[in-house]
Amino acid sequence: MAGIPSPVIRPLGHRLRRRLPGFAGGLLVAFVMVVLFGPVLMLALFSFNDSSIISLPWEGFTTRWYQEAWDNGQARDAVVHSLVVASVVMVFSVVLGTLAAWGLTRLRFKGRGAVAGLNGAVLVVPWLIIGVAGLIFFSELQVPLSLETIALMHLVVTFPLVVAIVSAGLVRFQRSLEEAAIDLGANQRQMLRYVVLPQIGPSLAAASIFAFAWSFNNFEISFFTGGFEQTFPVWVFSILRQSENLPIVNAVSTVIAAAQIIAVFGAWVLIKRLTRNESGEDITGLLTGGTR
Amino acid sequence: MESASIPVDAAAPVRSRTRRWLQPFAFMGAPTALLLLFFLAPMLVMAGVALDRGLLDGGPGFNLTLTNFTDVITDPLYREVALTTFEIATVAMLVQLIVAVPLAYVIAFKSGRWQLPILLFLVLADELNPMVRIYAWRMLLGREGLINEALMRIGIINHPIDALLFSQFAVTLVLSTSYLTYTVIPIYAAMKAIDGNVFEAARDLGAGWWTTTRRVLLPLIAPGIFVSLLLVYIPLFTDFASPALVGGTSGYMLGNVVNDLVLESGDLNRGAAMSIIMLALSALFAFVAYRLARINRLES
Repeated sequence: MAGIPSPVIRPLGHRLRRRLPGFAGGLLVAFVMVVLFGPVLMLALFSFNDSSIISLPWEGFTTRWYQEAWDNGQARDAVVHSLVVASVVMVFSVVLGTLAAWGLTRLRFKGRGAVAGLNGAVLVVPWLIIGVAGLIFFSELQVPLSLETIALMHLVVTFPLVVAIVSAGLVRFQRSLEEAAIDLGANQRQMLRYVVLPQIGPSLAAASIFAFAWSFNNFEISFFTGGFEQTFPVWVFSILRQSENLPIVNAVSTVIAAAQIIAVFGAWVLIKRLTRNESGEDITGLLTGGTR
Repeated sequence: MESASIPVDAAAPVRSRTRRWLQPFAFMGAPTALLLLFFLAPMLVMAGVALDRGLLDGGPGFNLTLTNFTDVITDPLYREVALTTFEIATVAMLVQLIVAVPLAYVIAFKSGRWQLPILLFLVLADELNPMVRIYAWRMLLGREGLINEALMRIGIINHPIDALLFSQFAVTLVLSTSYLTYTVIPIYAAMKAIDGNVFEAARDLGAGWWTTTRRVLLPLIAPGIFVSLLLVYIPLFTDFASPALVGGTSGYMLGNVVNDLVLESGDLNRGAAMSIIMLALSALFAFVAYRLARINRLES
């Protein structure tokens, strides 16, 4: 303490040095948020501009692009296709993924390492390559491309994600609880219902929303393994390849983005309730668990 | 280990033995079959097509050849595209790391009650449809786009900046914002695992912030950085939607080559060969990143 040269200046410099990182940190967070969400907000704003050119000047408020988008059969079909495919993929992924996660974390069997490796490989192979492989595979087998082939390939890439998320949940909670339940006379079904399910509930909720989003947002695989029936991302892509930017794409995109924001916040509230943990430690564990 | 089946063992040993033997099939059968049939088999078929001379050059049946691979590798145009791809993917990755490390640090140690909301927004950014995000950027960056229009109105520039859209810059920018969530979260996870006392210890021992960052923080978060590389760098170098929509001719990447070969020219054989090469590069990269992440974790 005696070594400090000028005790008068130090408090000021000290205070500045303590404040500055907090300020810089806030600025960094703000900058990232503007870059991530700013463009989408502008997109939403210009879906209400009364002009067929998406640029300044602002010509006045209108909702006619929403009416036109609603009347556009292709746009509506694309959104409906995506919703149907994503719902089917979500349900099957959660079932298959949870089965596999239980098998991989709780059972010992020959080839367990190979199966786990195969699951992991799916998550690392780029979707472009899986899409091209799917296209070649179906064309060699002369299977016509359709929404079914899209859903099948989505399922293949999505359920390993569920395996990763649910496995992380299963590894995190103590197996002694399962053993205790069995020791106390629970049968296997009761143990799963009253001990395991409440523990992995948040993981299952998170896995469901991610599975839906992975399928709904997937472009590459839908693009290569789809036939004439377009999904939403494929529709946007083909419109943008053909023409300049279009206000009805703004309108549909705004609706989709709004729905996704509501879905993510809804899932957040649901998971928070399931974990019943105000500190949020479980939620961060959930987010980071899959990446460890 | 088989705790769940212990009471059953005691009750009916024979039935339980078959059950124990069957149990893995009950859980793993359907998922594994799905992966073998629709992940592994398509990969093998694609490899077969890549090794086949093709209907046009070799006629019907399978004609083993390596020409698809040599054609693709020796083509000077593809080499140039490979170089562009490497450049764009690497710059985008570096930009993301430069943003992600401080950002993860702020979230993990400095954000207090904002920690969860910030993480939620990062997840939300990832959940937003990628095509919507690309379209939003295209709208902002175009010749008559909002950025050019706004700059001209303010009077900073007289002519629109053409290089904003349909350029390497546009692809790099869009890609940098597309995968930020997956870059930040593994690094954040690695930081959460750090005992905050090590920073205090470093400070007490006289280390400045730079020394602390370099000698304490970076070695501890290295496994997280390797996970980020694994999750982000591979999709970056195979991306095809962003370059197709905002890249123009100068932002043409390997993903576009695959698309053009397979869908535009219908050359499945060379398209498959190109895909196999990209797959091999991804696998090599994944292996190295995975190994580095493991080694570092053992050390720390």
